[in-house]
Amino acid sequence: MATLNIMVGQEQGNVPVTVLRVEGDIDAASHKTLQDKASELIDEGASNILLDLGGVNYMGSAGFRALHAISNKLGADDDSGLSKSSHLKLLNPTDAVSRVIKTLGFDVYLDIYQDRDEAINAF
Amino acid sequence: MSTEQVFDLSVKASLDNLRKIRSYIDQAGIRLGVSESALGDLRLVVDEAVTNVILHGYGDADGMVELHMEGDGDAVIIRIRDHAKTFDVSHVEAPQLDTALKDRPFGGMGIFLIRKMTDEAEFIPLPGGGNEIRLLKRNAIQSPGKPA
Repeated sequence: MATLNIMVGQEQGNVPVTVLRVEGDIDAASHKTLQDKASELIDEGASNILLDLGGVNYMGSAGFRALHAISNKLGADDDSGLSKSSHLKLLNPTDAVSRVIKTLGFDVYLDIYQDRDEAINAF
Repeated sequence: MSTEQVFDLSVKASLDNLRKIRSYIDQAGIRLGVSESALGDLRLVVDEAVTNVILHGYGDADGMVELHMEGDGDAVIIRIRDHAKTFDVSHVEAPQLDTALKDRPFGGMGIFLIRKMTDEAEFIPLPGGGNEIRLLKRNAIQSPGKPA
């Protein structure tokens, strides 16, 4: 079975930020694990999510469907057009994942950071 | 010579085997001398192609997927065969990259990635049933492959 480990932490920047550290491959077998966990946290009140992808060696289109769904759920009341999400940001994607992010145009929608503190204070 | 090396894998068409299939691409790619960048692309496009076969070809039915990978000069050729129903990808639209994310449809990203990250991608219904996906990526092999 595909396994995806997700560790959840809470940080306080300018606003409360929920940090999800993901480890494993995000493919069609595992993406629901991420999507469901984020959805559960949003239902419990999380409104700002930093997704730490430093432990993700592979992410295919299924992973981006999960990001899409998480972004939609976080920003349902935010008519932001083509501007970047103020509620979902990415941290430390690998080179391979960064390449797919750019190819699919997700860098237009989501801010990407290499530094954790900078990312948390960007919300 | 890398052109003499051929790698085959036959596995049950199951999402649980995607990791195994990516590992097969990695191992065959290293033997062929595929560059790290091209190997990342091939890992992605094969994962996307097989995922489509499983979800849209076989659906709830059981079946096998057969993969074949070989070098041809500096190019890599991959063939993916199944015995599933034919699914027409010609109508699959590319993602609307200039549209707000909330307004973007969810589908189409896998086929888009396959076309974007290969030089040739053909989806061919086989006469006896099933399908073959033929993928070609040029300038992929940077060094002579290691002997099998």
